Amino acid sequence: MAGPFVLPGGSNLAVAATLVLLPLILPSPTLATEILIFAMAALACNLLLGYGGLLSFGQGMFFGAGAYLAAIAMIHAKVGLLVALLTALCSGALIAALVGALAIRRTGIYFVMLTLAFNQTAYFIAYTLDGWTGGDNGLLDVPRPPLALFGHIFSDLGSPTAYYVFVAVVFLIIFMASGRIIASPFGSTLIAIRENEARADAVGYNTRHFKIVAFAISGAITSLSGALYAMLLNFAPLENIQMSESILIMTVIGGAGSLLGSLLGAGSWVIISDILADIWPRWQILMGGALILVVLFLRGGIWGGIESLLKRCLNKKER
Amino acid sequence: MSKAILQIENLSLSYNGFMAVNKVTLNVAHKTIHSVIGPNGAGKTSLFHCLTGVRRPTSGRVLFDGKEITHQPAHRRTCTGLARSFQITSLFQNLSVQENLRLASQGRDGDRALVFWRSIAGRREHMEMADSIMERLGLTQKANIAAGDLSHGQQRILEVGMALCGKPKLLLLDEPTAGMGVEDIPVMTRLIADLGKDYSIMLIEHNMGIVMSISDTITVMSQGEILVEGTPAAVRTDERVREAYLGEAA
Repeated sequence: MAGPFVLPGGSNLAVAATLVLLPLILPSPTLATEILIFAMAALACNLLLGYGGLLSFGQGMFFGAGAYLAAIAMIHAKVGLLVALLTALCSGALIAALVGALAIRRTGIYFVMLTLAFNQTAYFIAYTLDGWTGGDNGLLDVPRPPLALFGHIFSDLGSPTAYYVFVAVVFLIIFMASGRIIASPFGSTLIAIRENEARADAVGYNTRHFKIVAFAISGAITSLSGALYAMLLNFAPLENIQMSESILIMTVIGGAGSLLGSLLGAGSWVIISDILADIWPRWQILMGGALILVVLFLRGGIWGGIESLLKRCLNKKER
Repeated sequence: MSKAILQIENLSLSYNGFMAVNKVTLNVAHKTIHSVIGPNGAGKTSLFHCLTGVRRPTSGRVLFDGKEITHQPAHRRTCTGLARSFQITSLFQNLSVQENLRLASQGRDGDRALVFWRSIAGRREHMEMADSIMERLGLTQKANIAAGDLSHGQQRILEVGMALCGKPKLLLLDEPTAGMGVEDIPVMTRLIADLGKDYSIMLIEHNMGIVMSISDTITVMSQGEILVEGTPAAVRTDERVREAYLGEAA
């Protein structure tokens, strides 16, 4: 395996091109927006799973928290778009750091179970606090304020295309930031912890601190995507909190350990579900099958498959 | 005469009443190779665990460079200048040789390595350290090969290199030749002898033959206690040492 990060500039360009093409190929900009929002959540999950080796079932909780907190800030405190997103980002980081700090006190299956337990707890807390969250019905009438800075309005984001452009810019920023994070001293240490925690500890790293920061970053990005999702739907459903499995499946199908893979995973999940949902209401059975196939035969996910195909082609040319 | 780099005073470690290490007192002098040998179950590895911080000793003290480190957690010992190698090879298997060493060097930064907004390239000294250690170990040709793809002997050598990246004042080596082929052992023995010129080394070893040629001082342990301590020549002829090893039919 080569270094942890191949073609940094190349993958940024590939993503930028995809962002331009996506709304042109797909039937609606709303579908394209949905892909990017879930790709962001998968990206955040990938930082934990693919790079830190941490399988977290708490991603739905961060996603739901971002949706609720941004919505509550907009509805009750009447804050604008950027402040609402910032609220989601910061509170997501805080919640994830707290959950992470407790969950990483155990490793392996117990760690996974703890993240699941926190997620279930969060679900029932949101269910109980129906004055704030709308309980079972979800939080209705979530606004989508215009994009404004210091009183100057850039766009009202009313049309689906305008909102897509905004989300695409946010996605590109997050994608490039993630690339930087992985290539930083922090990111390289996270990979080292995934590879061999005892050794990482022996060469001087306090591995707990690194895992907590990984959780905080992942939680921040996931909450941001949750907030963007609530603004897309004008609605924050309770089911957001049960998104953990879907986010994990997108990450694994796309390719854990590859940022481009997260975009591919989210893209195929959203597109396939959009097509299949009309034909067959039990389409999720097929996604389950796809997951089994990937885990059994394509360990690097879709991106891993593409990579090995490219390598094979290049080798043939050399001969 | 300068003070010892490592002072172990009356150190004991018991597992549910069984004394794995029993009132061991031992000093490692600066820039010497001090070997601890003994038959299986002598308490060598338990003693080692107390020094690296893997286990908390039941009683006694450990002083490193004059400062007490008895209860210091493992990851903090590295930045104070105490580095270890593992008896069972413990590397970042899927990462390149160079990245293994760079990470080991970066470990000295501790929590300063939490910066996630800067590039690795900003900390050039870690890359330089990795390159110089590869040079010394003769692994420069293998820089971009995954650690897991090295031969077993080379992995053992990289294992020692990982400890060197921490700029240690004292190297703790736990059976560096464990599982090595007969032809690889002299390479490792020569490397340790060479390192002994620049570092203080405490070597835990099961095989008596290896340590005789390179050690300045040898401590022989048996059943958790120190049996004999002295120069290789003195230990070689000691009747009690022979008995302890013969008792194991070695």
